[in-house]
Amino acid sequence: MQEIQTNDRSITKEAVTSFDTCIQCRGCEPACPSGVPYGSLIEQVRKTLVEERHILPRWQQIPFHILTRPRLLRFFTRLLVVANKLHLIPKQFAFPKNIPLRNKPLRRSGNDVYLFTGCVMDAWQRETHRSAKRVLERLGFGVIPTGDRIPCCGALHNHAGLVQSATEISETVIQSLSDDELPILVDSAGCGAALKEYGHLVGTNEAKQFSSRVFDIHEWVAEHLEALPVSQKLPITVVVQDPCHLRHVQRAHEAVRSVLEPFVDTLVDLKDDGLCCGAGGAFSLFQPALASKARERKVAEINAQRYDIVASANPGCLLYLQQAGIKIQHPMEIVDKALTANSDV
Amino acid sequence: MSFINNLKNAIGRKATPDPFVSDLTSALSKDRVRFDATQRFLHSHDASVFDEGNAGPVCFPTSTQEVQEIMKIAKTHGRSIVARGAGTGLAGGAIPLGAPAVIAMTKMNKILEVDIDNRIAWVEPGVINLDLSSHLGVDGYHFAPDPSSQQVCTIGGNVANNSGGPHCLAYGVTDAHVLALEVVLPDGEVAVIGGLDPEPLGLDLRGAFIGSEGTMGITTKIAVRITKNPPAVGTLLLSFSSMRAAAQTVSAVIAAGIVPAAMEVMDQRITKAVESFVGAGYPTDAAAVLLVEVEGLTDGVAIEASRIRDIGFEQGATGIRVAESDHERELLWKGRKTAFGAIAQIAPDYYLHDTVVPRSSLADVLEKVDEVAEKYGLIVMNVFHAGDGNLHPLLLFDVREEGMLEKVHAAGAEIMKISLEAGGVLSGEHGIGIEKQAYMNQLFSDDDLDHQNRLRYAFDPDCRSNPGKVLPSGHSCADIQALKKVPEGIWG
Repeated sequence: MQEIQTNDRSITKEAVTSFDTCIQCRGCEPACPSGVPYGSLIEQVRKTLVEERHILPRWQQIPFHILTRPRLLRFFTRLLVVANKLHLIPKQFAFPKNIPLRNKPLRRSGNDVYLFTGCVMDAWQRETHRSAKRVLERLGFGVIPTGDRIPCCGALHNHAGLVQSATEISETVIQSLSDDELPILVDSAGCGAALKEYGHLVGTNEAKQFSSRVFDIHEWVAEHLEALPVSQKLPITVVVQDPCHLRHVQRAHEAVRSVLEPFVDTLVDLKDDGLCCGAGGAFSLFQPALASKARERKVAEINAQRYDIVASANPGCLLYLQQAGIKIQHPMEIVDKALTANSDV
Repeated sequence: MSFINNLKNAIGRKATPDPFVSDLTSALSKDRVRFDATQRFLHSHDASVFDEGNAGPVCFPTSTQEVQEIMKIAKTHGRSIVARGAGTGLAGGAIPLGAPAVIAMTKMNKILEVDIDNRIAWVEPGVINLDLSSHLGVDGYHFAPDPSSQQVCTIGGNVANNSGGPHCLAYGVTDAHVLALEVVLPDGEVAVIGGLDPEPLGLDLRGAFIGSEGTMGITTKIAVRITKNPPAVGTLLLSFSSMRAAAQTVSAVIAAGIVPAAMEVMDQRITKAVESFVGAGYPTDAAAVLLVEVEGLTDGVAIEASRIRDIGFEQGATGIRVAESDHERELLWKGRKTAFGAIAQIAPDYYLHDTVVPRSSLADVLEKVDEVAEKYGLIVMNVFHAGDGNLHPLLLFDVREEGMLEKVHAAGAEIMKISLEAGGVLSGEHGIGIEKQAYMNQLFSDDDLDHQNRLRYAFDPDCRSNPGKVLPSGHSCADIQALKKVPEGIWG
């Protein structure tokens, strides 16, 4: 990287391949004895590679433009859902079956915290947001879902090397949430990591101030657990799968355990030191063969355990592991279920 | 021929393939023999500041048989080889000189067998040091050598360099934890060195092979001794108003008959850097801090900890903190182990030196090191394994500044001289590699070196295994004779 960026070493095919096949799980960061911030270095190199047209040709950039246009994204989502129902999408794409055709937007319930809803997650997994919102409300917080007001966090753009777009998106996001100082809670590990890094990406004091308001939802809930009603534990064994951007980047993965622990019978840790599941944001679309190799390892590790359900705090991992036939839910959905079951009794 | 190759390269056509590469490819597979410019460039470096490396084809074997194949092919073609682990070496031991085949052992990374009853684990050389300890942790065991790079460095690399780590003060360095080695010798023969019995038959060649920096062959399987986790651990952090007081405390503790598991000293500069990096709770106003760990049975640990406290106060400690919880203990160690990451806040490059001096002269040597740094206008920081007198002065610099690297090397040479004059040795744990080759003459007589060379020669008569390392030039194996046999123009 240093050679390409500072010493002008020529960009060979092999160098491009090695960057293009990196999932950017950032597992290298906690492992590096010298604390090298690989994430931002790789993003800078990818920026150069995109600019010099080594990777990501223009047609591949189209989906990234859709992400920031929620109506268009929902339109395409519906198109895909219908196409899937008509069996027009080949099976190998394993398009998720549980995406509803229509889903009512989340309503504001007060004025205490923001719930960042994002792009694809809001279009495809709004039920997860609904669970997260219910949990927050039970804690006594009035929730402002960001909804279409903030269509996307720009994480996927940044990882792909579209740094300019990512910076523009982040400036818009900071601007839209700058009227107050309310905490911004995120239930997607990837988005949370990106929002927390705005300070670094944009570099202004305003951006740093913004990043300091961002919390992964589990960090927030873990801090306020005592406000939740004592619950009957769900009689299930849950395997915790740490999303890379929660564990290696935000380093907030322990909070997921603290949050789940009072609500389920047994928590099981995987013994793979937070190995990546292969989803890597858009990686599984661009490098399907490599991604599925990584997923095979993960699935084997999960299936070596006895469990009822896997918990993963990132939409990408959820979808990707679901496609491989793993029974998986967002931790917030599990907590929500436990709280609901409790109130029914 | 070389002219035609150069011409073909110049007009972008593929040069005639090196027959060495085609043989390697057919023995392994296409994706595990890489010879593109990027791979060769990456495998021409390690974590040291030396950049004269030039890698030939890079091979990724997955079994002893494949390593054997590579060795035989190299012998047939009269070419040299260099084994490589994670590339975290700081003395340039894995830097390929003269375009040898680089044998990257990272894909041989399986823990083959753990025998808790006999406290032995068989591992492949590419297993990461910390992974082995994590794996053994379930049963309450660990692998004792713990270099600061343990989360990435490989056991094979530890064997090659006879690596140490903070906790080696009580437990001994790598050679105290290796029972047997399966090695592939430079002629392709497989041999087992050492054995699992307490007194294995025949000559015990482990001492010769461990620490030989890949100059005698390649390890393909290692039987390591595994160590039971201690029932109790006590960690103390002592602050001092002078480096001399910290160094004297170290000597006083050992003189009192206590051998702590670890004794690490950090100076004020590094403490400040670490504190703003991880917030481990180190006192930033102290001139030096001493991190001491005692292990054993609960009562013994308590007694030793209180004796160390007393000694600390006698020597003028300004503050003593005892870790109250595992979390606090981990945080204190995190500070020590991320020291090298923390200094990136101060300068982009560092040269980490490694010498050993008698414990009693620690304070004097450190003062002289400070003077050297001042003379060359460099920032020096000290973080080191004080218990065994293993100094690690860190020279901080920016390589982009003209003439800086030369200054750093000159300062390094002076530090080396000071250590030797104080009765020390060249290296505590990083090895000789190419970094300290030129100083071997200052420590060893010609006769010593000649004998070392003969030993090496017994394993590798053609000098094809990691040529140009350890022994200084003038001794036959140091000459990169294999270089002459590389077809010109292919690996230039």
